[in-house]
Amino acid sequence: MNDPGLAALLSGPTCLALGTGNATMTHRGLPVSWGMVTLAFVLAAALWALARTPAKGIESQGVSLGRLPLIGPGIRRLTATPWVLISLRMFLVALFLLVITAGLFGTPIPERNLATMLTWNLWWAGLVFSVLLLGTAWCAVCPWDALAHWLVRRRLWRRAEPNNSLNLRVPRPLRSVWPALWLFIGLTWLELGVGITTSPYATALVALLMVVLATVSLALFERKAFCRYFCPVGRTVGFYSQLSLVELRPIEAEICAHCRTLDCYYGNAQIEPCPTWLVMGRLTQNSYCISCGNCTQSCPHDNIAWRFRSPAAEAVVGARPRWDEAWFMLILLALTIFHGLTMMPFWEPAMRALARVIGDSGRLLWSFSAGLAACIACTSLLYWGAARWAHRWTGSTMPFRRFFATFAFTALPLAFAYHLAHNLNHLARESSGLGAVLRDPLGVHAQPLSLAEKHLHHLDTWIPLDVLWALQTGLMALGFVIALQIIRHRGRSALGEAGQPAWRLAPLILFACAVTAFNLWLLMQPMVMRF
Amino acid sequence: MAHHVLGRPAYSLNEDSNTPPSMQVETQIGDYFVTYMVFPAFPRPGAPGRINLYATRLDDGRPFHGEVTFKVRDDSWFGGREEILGVQSPDDNVYRQGFVFTDAGDYVITAEFESEGEPYVIDFPLRIGDPAPIGPIGLAVGTIVAVLLGVNLAQRRRLLTAKIRKARDEARP
Repeated sequence: MNDPGLAALLSGPTCLALGTGNATMTHRGLPVSWGMVTLAFVLAAALWALARTPAKGIESQGVSLGRLPLIGPGIRRLTATPWVLISLRMFLVALFLLVITAGLFGTPIPERNLATMLTWNLWWAGLVFSVLLLGTAWCAVCPWDALAHWLVRRRLWRRAEPNNSLNLRVPRPLRSVWPALWLFIGLTWLELGVGITTSPYATALVALLMVVLATVSLALFERKAFCRYFCPVGRTVGFYSQLSLVELRPIEAEICAHCRTLDCYYGNAQIEPCPTWLVMGRLTQNSYCISCGNCTQSCPHDNIAWRFRSPAAEAVVGARPRWDEAWFMLILLALTIFHGLTMMPFWEPAMRALARVIGDSGRLLWSFSAGLAACIACTSLLYWGAARWAHRWTGSTMPFRRFFATFAFTALPLAFAYHLAHNLNHLARESSGLGAVLRDPLGVHAQPLSLAEKHLHHLDTWIPLDVLWALQTGLMALGFVIALQIIRHRGRSALGEAGQPAWRLAPLILFACAVTAFNLWLLMQPMVMRF
Repeated sequence: MAHHVLGRPAYSLNEDSNTPPSMQVETQIGDYFVTYMVFPAFPRPGAPGRINLYATRLDDGRPFHGEVTFKVRDDSWFGGREEILGVQSPDDNVYRQGFVFTDAGDYVITAEFESEGEPYVIDFPLRIGDPAPIGPIGLAVGTIVAVLLGVNLAQRRRLLTAKIRKARDEARP
């Protein structure tokens, strides 16, 4: 190799892997030393947890922003007015329509088109960070729902009577998170299998499809059934938001306890009812709250506000186990792992080899689907085995189905931590060039990036690599610690109050260790760039 | 390049040479890995363009040496007529097929060859000019309008039924 430019590409933090006839640019993974230190911490924490008796749980009251001195009243006024949310919705709807226009009419070069850059490199990668910091706030300003609401209700925000909907009840089999889960698997299939992330046109089509689904659902069913049961993004945001730093809750629990009007649930003459059938006074988990602000605006006592809390409080204590939700969390974990796997340099050769065995051709979608199914099956079986083993060892009187659902919360911090760490890589290394795309959203007469330009783009990270790695390892360690807390706290109810030793929960702790170790290994591998 | 997906077009620019930007699609079929390139990446109506096709065996990387037939058809729901663009032999392991399209639109290029008695048929996308993608917008707007109209009619009927029932109840002694 005599080309010094190519030599630099092969040795830098972003490198060029030469495969079977293809050149693939990859990001350097987490250094082995960082991975090993994190793994040592994980093992030490696991041993500590095994040696202790199960925890009693954590009591987290949180800090209500509405009660803070000086800024509290201002925050309450801001959340009680609809105009902040309306302004944000209008801005995001305008941006969303621009994305659709760019996708349909702009250049097909993904790195030069606003549709792909904004949707996949910024929004899709950054959404999980918004969940950590702002809970389900994205749902409050979601352009799919805003457009559907404006089209069906024909009101900017006030309650519409009649509400221009057939107000049908959602059929009973669909009243769970299964529809959202299947749609999420479908979205993953489109994203990674069909490759819509590299096609502005396909990105615009999916955006249009989501608006159609949200509008049809709002026109047919009562309240916002799409947000509650069908939206794959909303449900993912909802489940992850069990681990967010904020929540929308009553300021004084007593006021809600004595409330007779339940305006948060029924709405009032001006404000729509809760779109997802929640009563604020009884709310214990974020999963179905879409932060729409109806309750803050309709509460006659001005008693609802955002509050800070421990990210572990809800998944460890507050959230109640349900069979369908348990599967959602487990498959969410499987899909985050799968995302990582498909971006490994070995993924494509593996798919080609599988395609030759099963006689697959073209885009190798059968091979991809088999890989996706195998990842979901392996993760689920691993958890099922751990839960079954722990159920026997603890001699729990809890039915296995309930035991399975109770400890499935363990999957949530493991998935969230890896998702954040993985997406940090995307955000830090692939979001440069967004300014150029915002100046020319349709990429009129734009040329594709040359190899050198791509390399320069990816060198242009907005945080130093050491900081990136520190954040990634910190997130992985935090995810594992929360998973341990969940096992220890929920284990107390499984083991009974007699105080059996925690080592009986070892299979579940082993499951958390195995998943964290595997995810760390994935982070340590070079990652193939999106485009 | 990068997170490339088999069968999806990828665009690249070789700034060290005078070649225009190209569009490239890679795919795997049977025993062959096929690469299809279009020059320029965004051909215009009336302007000449070229397709380069490479087919190599997956097991040992040997290039295919037979003839390849290139065909073209409209990529629309009702545009089924197929035309033969040409039959090409390899030139330095590359099959080159020139083209000139008079109309803008989305087309499908089909490359056909036979190896060891097995027929191979591969479809690749080719966009000429900037065809207006009215279809998806029309479909989305049409669906939404149809549903909203249907719901509106159903609501009117409900209201009317309720009024009639109320009037009957009031008229009853």
